[in-house]
Formats: sequence, C-alpha cells, structure tokens
Amino acid sequence: MAGLATTFGSGAMTNSISEIEQADVIIVSGSNTTEAHPQIARRIIDAVDGSAGLIVIDPRKTDISKFASVHLQIRPGTDIPLLNCIMRIILDENLVDDVFIEMRTENYVVLRDMLYRLDLDETAAETGVSLEKIRRAAKLFGRAHKGVFCYCLGITQHICGTDNVRSIANLAMLTGNVEKQDTGVDPLRGQNNVQGACDMGALPNVFPGYQGVADPTAREKFSRAWKSELSDKPGLTLLDMTHKSRENGLHAMFIMGENPMLSDPVQDKVKETFDSLEFLAVADIFLTETARCAHVVFPAASFAEKSGTFTNSERRVQHVRQAIEPIGDSRTDSEIITDLSAGMGYAMAYDNPAEIMEEIAMLTPLYGGMHHDRLNENWGLQWPCPDRNHPGTPYLHKHSFTRGKGLFQPASHQEPGEPPDEQYPFKLMTGRVYHHYHTGAMTRASHLLSRECPRALLEINPEDADRLGVRDGEYVTLSTRRGNITICTKITDRVQPGMLYTSFHFHEAPVNKLTIGSVDPTAKCPEYKICAARLERIQS
Amino acid sequence: MSAAYILAKDHLKSFVRKISKGSRLIAPVTNEYGDTLYSEINCLDSTQIDTQHQPQSSIKHFFLPQQESILSYSVSQAGEYHFSNILIGVPTVFFGVRSCDLAGLLYMDVIFSNPAKDPYYFKKRENSIIISLGCNEPFENCFCNATKSGPFLDFGFDLRFTDLGDRFLVEPGRKRGMEILEEFAYFFNDASEQDLKDQYQLQLESRSSFQQNVHVDLAIKKLANEEVGKDVWQDLADRCQDCGGCAYVCPTCTCFTITDQPVSESEGERVRSWDACTFAGFTRMVGGHNPVSSEHSLRRRFLHKLKYDVSLHNRTSCTGCGRCVGICFGGVDIIKFISAVCES
Repeated sequence: MAGLATTFGSGAMTNSISEIEQADVIIVSGSNTTEAHPQIARRIIDAVDGSAGLIVIDPRKTDISKFASVHLQIRPGTDIPLLNCIMRIILDENLVDDVFIEMRTENYVVLRDMLYRLDLDETAAETGVSLEKIRRAAKLFGRAHKGVFCYCLGITQHICGTDNVRSIANLAMLTGNVEKQDTGVDPLRGQNNVQGACDMGALPNVFPGYQGVADPTAREKFSRAWKSELSDKPGLTLLDMTHKSRENGLHAMFIMGENPMLSDPVQDKVKETFDSLEFLAVADIFLTETARCAHVVFPAASFAEKSGTFTNSERRVQHVRQAIEPIGDSRTDSEIITDLSAGMGYAMAYDNPAEIMEEIAMLTPLYGGMHHDRLNENWGLQWPCPDRNHPGTPYLHKHSFTRGKGLFQPASHQEPGEPPDEQYPFKLMTGRVYHHYHTGAMTRASHLLSRECPRALLEINPEDADRLGVRDGEYVTLSTRRGNITICTKITDRVQPGMLYTSFHFHEAPVNKLTIGSVDPTAKCPEYKICAARLERIQS
Repeated sequence: MSAAYILAKDHLKSFVRKISKGSRLIAPVTNEYGDTLYSEINCLDSTQIDTQHQPQSSIKHFFLPQQESILSYSVSQAGEYHFSNILIGVPTVFFGVRSCDLAGLLYMDVIFSNPAKDPYYFKKRENSIIISLGCNEPFENCFCNATKSGPFLDFGFDLRFTDLGDRFLVEPGRKRGMEILEEFAYFFNDASEQDLKDQYQLQLESRSSFQQNVHVDLAIKKLANEEVGKDVWQDLADRCQDCGGCAYVCPTCTCFTITDQPVSESEGERVRSWDACTFAGFTRMVGGHNPVSSEHSLRRRFLHKLKYDVSLHNRTSCTGCGRCVGICFGGVDIIKFISAVCES
C-alpha cells in the first residue's frame, strides 16, 4: 500500500474488477489467482479466451500460469531485477509512452538513467529466467494498448515489498497504463473487508480515509467529532505489537477477528508476547489459537448475524444485512466495541449501523456519499464517492493522479533477509490453498472443505525429493532458525529445485513457527515469502 | 386428448390459496434483492408469485435437502444404542415448477427408487403436488429443447399451467391433478378450440426463440463413440475451479455423503449432505491416494449426464436448465463442454 500511495497517491486497486476482462495484456505477478482470487481469475481467463495476452510472473507453476502466453518462473525475491529488465527492453524497443511520461509523471530521468546503466544479461541471470523469454514478455506488454498489472502478496510479502510495488508502478507509468479505463495497477486484496479496514484507519498512521494523524487539520476534525484529544503520533505496526510489546511499552491488547498465533511470523515470539501481556481480550466467532491465550473472550457474531458494510478489492462498499439472529451469547462487533467503550467511560451511542455510516460519511471524504440507503442499489458504490449525488468511481486517477503527477521511484535488487546457506539450503515460501481461508478458523470447521484439503502439504521438487530420499506423502521435519514442524510432503514440479512451498492454514503444521520476523522497512509487511529452511526425514 | 380448462388470472391467488390449505406452498418469489427463488409462501396476500423469471435454484433441495438429519441415536446408561428414523414429509404444493425442474424431479424418482426406495426422499415426494408452468420465453441459458425436457414438458405434473396472457390454460396430468380439478371445478371453464390453438402457437414460438444453440444429440453420439479428443478433457480440468457450484445448482446431481454428528455425550444424529463427484474428497482414500484425477472426476460428471444415463435410462440427466452456465466461473459449464465435444 505504501508503494502505490507514494507513486500514485492512493493505495488501492485502480481498476474495477470487470475492467480486467477488457485488457489486451494482463500481467499477473505473485498471485496464485485461481486459488486465492477465483473470481478475478475468472475475468483473466475470460480475457485470455477473448485473445488477451497473459504474462505470469511466479516462481511456482500456478494454475493460472497454464493460461499464460509467457510464464516467467523467476527465482523467489527477484521481482525488481525482472521488472527492471522488462522496462529496459521496453526502453530499447522504444515502446515507452513519451507523452504520458511528459505530461503526467515526474522523476522519469532518474529511472531512465538507472535503466541505461543496467547490464541486461547480468540482471536477467539474477532472475533465473532467460533474457529471450523476458524480451517476449516485455514486447507483449509494451505493445499493449490496454495493459493491466495484477499483483498480490507474492509481491508485497518481501523485505523489498514496497520497492517491488514501486517497480510495478514504474512499469505502468512508463507504458502509460494508468489513468485510463481498462488499464491500471491492481493489488488484489485478500479478505472480504481488508480494503475497508484500511479505509477505516486500521493502519498505524492514519485516521479513516487515509487522513494522516500528523496532519493538524485532520486531527482537529476528528478531535472535535469524537470530543477527545487525539495523538499526533503514529501507532505501532503489526510486528511491533506482536513481537516487541515489551520494548514498545504495550501492556494490553484487544484483538478482533484475527488469529496472530497462526498468521504472524515467528509463532514462539507471538506466544511469548501474549503470555507476557497484563491483559489480552479477543473477539472472534470461534475459539481460535489466539483466543485461547486471552484473559477475556467475546463471542462475536458472524457475517450472517449482523448488518454493515464490506469494502472489497475494487473499492466497492457493499451493504450486508443481517439474515439471522445472533446465536447464543454472540454479539455484533459494534455492540462489543460500544459497550466496552461505555464501560471504560466513553459513551458511544449509535442506534444502528446506518448511524455509524453517517458519521463515516461526514468525516471521510472518500466515503462522503456512502449512506446505507444509497448502497442498496447496483451492488454498492466504489470510492471515492464524495457526496450524495456522486455515482462512485470505477477506476482511479482518471485524467490525473491523486497526488498530482505520478512519481517514478527506481529500485534495485535486494537480497532477502535470510538467503539460503549450507545449513538451511532451501528457500521456503508460504501461501494459501483454495479450500481454506487464513488460519482455518472458519473453513476447517466445514466438513466438506476439510475433506477437500485435510492437511498442510509441503511442495518439493522431484529432484530434491530424490536426493533426500523423500517419498510423496511422507511426513518430514521442516526446520528454520526459528524452530521446526512436522509436515506432509507433496512431490511436484510446481516448485523449482531448491524451493519449498506450503500454506499457513493448519495449526498442526504451523508454518509461521518457522517464518522470519524481518519486515519491509517502509510498509512493515513481514517477509512471509522467503526464508531459509532445511528438510529432514524422520528417523523411525 | 386430455381435457383442458381455463382459469382467469384474477382467480389464481384464490385458487392457490384453496389448494394449499393445510399444506406448505412453494412457488417462485422474487425477493427484495432481485433474486428469484422457489420459496415457501406463508402469506399469499403480501407475497407475489413470480411467473416471469427463472428461479435460480431448482426444487431439488425440497426433496433432498443440502443437509438433512435422517436418523437420531442415543446411548442409554447401560450402553444400549437406540436408533430412530427421522422421516419428514410435510404436505406441499409446488406451484410454477418449470419443465427442467420437473424433469429433474422425475429423474430423482428413478435414482431414489433403485435398488430400493429411499424412504427419506419418497416421504417428501409422496406428499407433494406438482403444478408446472410452461415457459413461453426461454431464459438466457436455457436449452431444454435440446435435452427434450421442455419448454413444455408433457408429463410428470399433477397440473400444468400455460400462461395465455389474461388467463391460464390448465391441464391435468397425474390422478391427483384430476382430483383437484374436480374438487375445485367452480374455478374453471372448459378451454375452447381457440385456447388450444393459442397454446400451440405459444409453444411453437417458444421453441423457436432459444438463445442457446446446443447440439446435445451430436454430443451424445460422439461421446458414445468415444470420438472426443484428449485435449477437450485437459482443457476442462485446467479451467475447473473445483467449487462444486455446478453440482449444487443442478436439478439432477444427487450425490450425497453421510456423517454421524454427536449432539451431546449420549446423543447424536446421522446427517445426509450434498456432495459432488467433482470434489477430490469424493474419491480420495483414507491413506491420501486418489484413484481419480481431477481431470477424470470432471470427465465422469459430464459422461454421467450425457453418456451413462443415456445408456441406462435412454435420456440425458441434463435437463437443459442452464443454471450451471450462469454459476460456473471457470467456463467449463455444460454448454461449453457440449460445444467443445461437437467441435472436437
């Protein structure tokens, strides 16, 4: 998000999902689209059927790569060199959009000079992909009239995540593929409301609507509305809380709908943090691994038991309406928050979610025209939607970037926080599978979904399996410098030699016990995608 | 030729009210979100029966619920098990059943009769009255003309309604239908020669206005002769996203699984729930080995509909409702499949 926010001025998918179908050429990078975003994959496949070109950048042979005109199977963590190569070739082939660069962007010369200094053969060698293949991809994208770049956590969950995103933005601006319909840069958001959570200020440094806490006008506005003095200091980022609570003077936490015990890297550290807190409260619909650590657990209502809005990947705010009464003692999130707040001496009296939405609209220009009564038609509205009559915004940056001019920010290759070595020779990547959602709190409770995918599988290339004498389906010990887990293997050429891949849904094989605590210095996003690992057979 | 009668549209509501006295009434209703579903109607005065749109799901789930407790058990302190069957069959009137869904029901009758009658299904089936509604205008993805199950299926209903604009033409089918007509004879007038001509004209127009051109017969022939290229199957497997949506909306997909679910220390239930042959877990063995690849599980689903059932029952078990076309987001719905087979 930080990457796009600094280049374009807004950290969200620039397109509408349906626009993807209209593109000439689509790049999909670091996204296992068919498994993690099947509804987007469907659009991509439709576009390919309609003769669009598809370039997939992924170290693994994902299902979407079967539809690709070019699959660039890079070494994990070499996105920047690859994108720089592509941009250099586009420059050499004179496929840059001069007018767009001149009119709509700034800092181009710095990028150009960096690209000209690049040794193409050397840089291509870093990525592990042949220069010829990269050239094919570059020409394909460079010649597209309508190019769309979709990316996901394979881009952001790196130590250089922000620079990866900046490089993508550079490529889009270089070829003039932003600011117009059916072209753009699309971070695919994972959860149904992760965009909404960011929009509502669930980030350390902003109030709702990305209004900075450091901005005195914004602070003044929110202080007046909430009748309380607000701090101008950014809060803590995720790992600053779950790994370093003591250093940061954190004594208590309230966690809602999140299961850091399985989802945050270095599980032992997270556990240590929760154990050391003076007070931990968790609100969730099931008793998750995190909830088990809590002093107090609030049973929360599920989506079907509450009303409100979800904001999806394409910035669309959709109204969900309660279908059934909350079961047992469960209560909606807003009831839990407002009662807790009242108990702590700050009354938050709202009659219903629509009243909360009115306050959001009043304080958040992006949501200015979003009222419940308006959201019932046409599947909701896409922000920015500043006033009651505004029809919403299908694609961002029309005619001009939010920040004015798009800013080129050149980047160069960075080694991962923990490259493989003799002791830990594999690169371990983590991701998701189709049938499970995050830490499996919900999906593993479903008989059918559990049956479809009952256990975590560690993908290993046949070459490596042969060398280590590992059989398909054998349980092995997977270890990193943080610890070890027992996990079932799956021998497949989906992964390249030297790579291992698994998912983090399973508490029996909690891969985040192994992942590394290093983060991208700007966005503070953990480096889930690469750490050094070792695999051993279990001696019986 | 069987008799035909006329019911004025103004009297539809009162007729439906009469015949559903003491019964549950199920009919297509469009809800406030614009979704048309076969729904239970509790109050006819505040609910509008929708005869214009295709319901998004079939009537399958009223006979084979997505989850159904079929047996309960308890253990006494002495350790003795007691089992009791849970047989539920509320008298139900189904109004406005489309031909494709009726054909699906007739197919389920066959499936749940062999080798023995399934009591859970037939308890519901025998308590149902089916009033079908011919389709004057095929919907977007319909191709029941090609599967010979519509748009005006001529059998299997208790009563069949045809919308003639200001009036319905009503024809009895099974015995129960005739009884209803006799019991409520005061609602009806005999149909005239012109009414029957109007119906015939409507049927002709409906048959010629399908938007989908699907060559089911050709596909059946090619599948029977195994003239289908390997690439067709591979392409399907690559695109299938394994969501099971096709099986869930299909009026004739009846695969189910059985699980025993404890309710307390001493009590529990046996639950029958929908399953789908496209799921990996449908065939995977306990040790993890799956004798059926994803390519083959998809192949089996299509072959079941268009080959095996044709040889067993002389008809396809696809009723041409087109629902899987609307729901499939991998683009491997049955129309795409049939086209691919025909082209291969």
